[in-house]
Amino acid sequence: MFSNLHQLCKQLLAFCPLALLTIVQFSCSEEPTIQSYTIASEYKGSIVTWKLPGNWGENSELSGPMAGSFHVKTESGPKGRIGVMPFRQKVSTLDVANMFGKELGYPTFSEKNLSPYLKKKKIGLRDFEWVTLIEKNAPAISSPKIALLALLRQEGETWLFPFIADQNLVRKESENFTAFLESCVLRSAKEQPIVAKSNRPARKVISTPPPTRKNPWSWDIPANWAKGKGSSIRLASFVVNGGDGKKLDISVTSFPGDVGGLLANVNRWVGQIGLSPVDQSSLEQYCSSITLNGQPGHLIEAFGPDQGLLAAALFLEKEAWFFKLQGDRELAESEKSNFTSFLQSIAKKSKQP
Amino acid sequence: MKKSKKPNSLVQRRKNFSFLIPFASLRLTLTLLSLSMILIFVATLEQTRIGIRGALKEYFESFFGIWYYPEQFWGSEYLHSIPLPIPGGYLLGGLLILNLTSAFLVRFQWTGKKIGIQLIHSGIILLLIGQLATQAIQEESKMQINKGEKTNYIERFHGVELALRDVTDPLKENVITIPQELLENGGILSNEELPFKLKIHHFGVNCDFEYGTEGKTNTTLSKSVDRGVGQSMNLNVVPKDEDYSNDALNFGYLVVEILDGNKSLGTWLTIANPGGSKYWEMMYPKLADLAFQSIRHEGKLWGIALRQKREYLPFSIELLDIKNEYYQGTETPFNFESDINLHLDDNQTRRALVYMNTPLRHAGKTFYQYQMNDSASYTVFQVIRNPSWLVPYIACILVSLGMLWQFSFHLFRFLKKNSATPKST
Repeated sequence: MFSNLHQLCKQLLAFCPLALLTIVQFSCSEEPTIQSYTIASEYKGSIVTWKLPGNWGENSELSGPMAGSFHVKTESGPKGRIGVMPFRQKVSTLDVANMFGKELGYPTFSEKNLSPYLKKKKIGLRDFEWVTLIEKNAPAISSPKIALLALLRQEGETWLFPFIADQNLVRKESENFTAFLESCVLRSAKEQPIVAKSNRPARKVISTPPPTRKNPWSWDIPANWAKGKGSSIRLASFVVNGGDGKKLDISVTSFPGDVGGLLANVNRWVGQIGLSPVDQSSLEQYCSSITLNGQPGHLIEAFGPDQGLLAAALFLEKEAWFFKLQGDRELAESEKSNFTSFLQSIAKKSKQP
Repeated sequence: MKKSKKPNSLVQRRKNFSFLIPFASLRLTLTLLSLSMILIFVATLEQTRIGIRGALKEYFESFFGIWYYPEQFWGSEYLHSIPLPIPGGYLLGGLLILNLTSAFLVRFQWTGKKIGIQLIHSGIILLLIGQLATQAIQEESKMQINKGEKTNYIERFHGVELALRDVTDPLKENVITIPQELLENGGILSNEELPFKLKIHHFGVNCDFEYGTEGKTNTTLSKSVDRGVGQSMNLNVVPKDEDYSNDALNFGYLVVEILDGNKSLGTWLTIANPGGSKYWEMMYPKLADLAFQSIRHEGKLWGIALRQKREYLPFSIELLDIKNEYYQGTETPFNFESDINLHLDDNQTRRALVYMNTPLRHAGKTFYQYQMNDSASYTVFQVIRNPSWLVPYIACILVSLGMLWQFSFHLFRFLKKNSATPKST
């Protein structure tokens, strides 16, 4: 019996090379697993992140320079507009206050008459400039709208956190707004991202158009339009003064890409004049087709309780163009024919030799 | 009673390992070697069609491959449609090992006279085992370094991973990587280090992608994408088979939904650039964010990217200078040379020159000069990790010693016999 066992063991030994091979073959193919490790920071871009209060929601559509856009969840639906806007340079508090003040019926601020609305506030370890603007001439039946503008200067950049809602909501959410500001992690880019150097031919190269602020359009301006105050965003700016403090602001802007598309921009604009956002299926209630410079565009007409909006959007292959008129409702209605003539006169400038 | 047989005698071994006798046949050896020649011939033909990687995978790293008679050859109208099974590398290699081991046990005499034969066969067996081990554990990667910069990671030539990076801390990043195999399996993936779950919608190893235009509907797999670059650029992705050719550019893709508990945070599309994530910025400026798509969650900023499988090293290599020399009047490279500093973990620095056939060996990895671009000032090393790299050398020494022994033995015996022959008068 023992000799048989001995023989069996010897025979089994013969399989050792094969067994070894099998072990080598399969033991080396590791079981795939999720791995985690820590490395020194390689990320060179800017950091913008936050912790949202439980009763706030995030708007998925971001427009313009917004890094984040939020609302307050209420029983009657989403209310208010809260945003995070990074500016790559130092923007003056005066410019920011004027940008929002117009919407709330304020005359253009000067350094002197802005000071009552401006204070400093320390939140956590950071010092914010704090501008509170309450809507002028708000209807008696509703709570006036407030624009709470928190500005943070950091590493040569400006971060703007606007909170726009009715007075009651702003007061109710002031602690949450402060907590939100404290939770924000904001860090500017360490440097320009390192680009791999290579002259390797690309399979499909699509280049971004070089940024240009030249106005490629020509147009006829109605006689009653005056030149308005320009800004780094606007390519052209006009105003219409209707007397009794009634005003219209007309702007021409362009952005690379489609900046969120038609729906997002329409909802942003109708929100500015106190109307509720719409979904894709209801977009027609504000939009119709228009031809601009022989190209199909969109004409937007919306009239809120006090404010009116007329705009044209032209989405080209690499950029989007917006021609917008906004201001007093009655004045906007009366200026509609002039605005339409202005749109019809828009033509591409011929290239200079 | 006197024992008639020694325990290691051939007779005794043949008795003990009787079942191995059929495998020890010399005919089997010749058949396997002939089949190996056919395999090499077929794989060489196929290499022109499917590339080296394709031929390796189909014929050598398999038990059998299916071959179709080439369309260009005579009679292909009748023969091309017939699938011909070809024994693969694993099958032939395995059987050869079995055949040689069996011969070693039940055919060879373990005597001093035959020790040369035994050494030769041991060497060949070791060579075969070494090759199998190499296939199983060798890893090939690359490291690209721009002049004046340091790099501390290598990227695989083939195979991708999903990387999620928490970059909130200015000093360190927490990285979580999910290997290709798990992405291929699909389903919902989670990890204790990840504050959210990932639901894999679609994954593929190669695709074509283009910007969607109005009136052109998105492909099925891009339709669900509602966040990130895929959504903002309206990217259309069309899956493709993996390209095995030598200059293949496989763009792996992944459509993944991020879940915070049961709540969906959105669905992202991410694509791996075979040249490395840095190439997005250069090749497709509009898609530069594919190298890092942001996800904000609970006050933290995460970046998501599908990228070539990456391995971080405990040391880094700094490229000081490069030299690119060509034969005069030609574009044939004469010498590629990278002057580097190897920065070790303990703040030590080692200067080295890496050039053709003179690699840098460090920490079990060999860095070969692979590519270079003088005008763009970067170098690329091919990085090989092969713990069994010494096995072929040992095998060759064994075979050489065996042959030396065998020939010397016969030579001495012949000379001895010759000198012993009486001179004729």
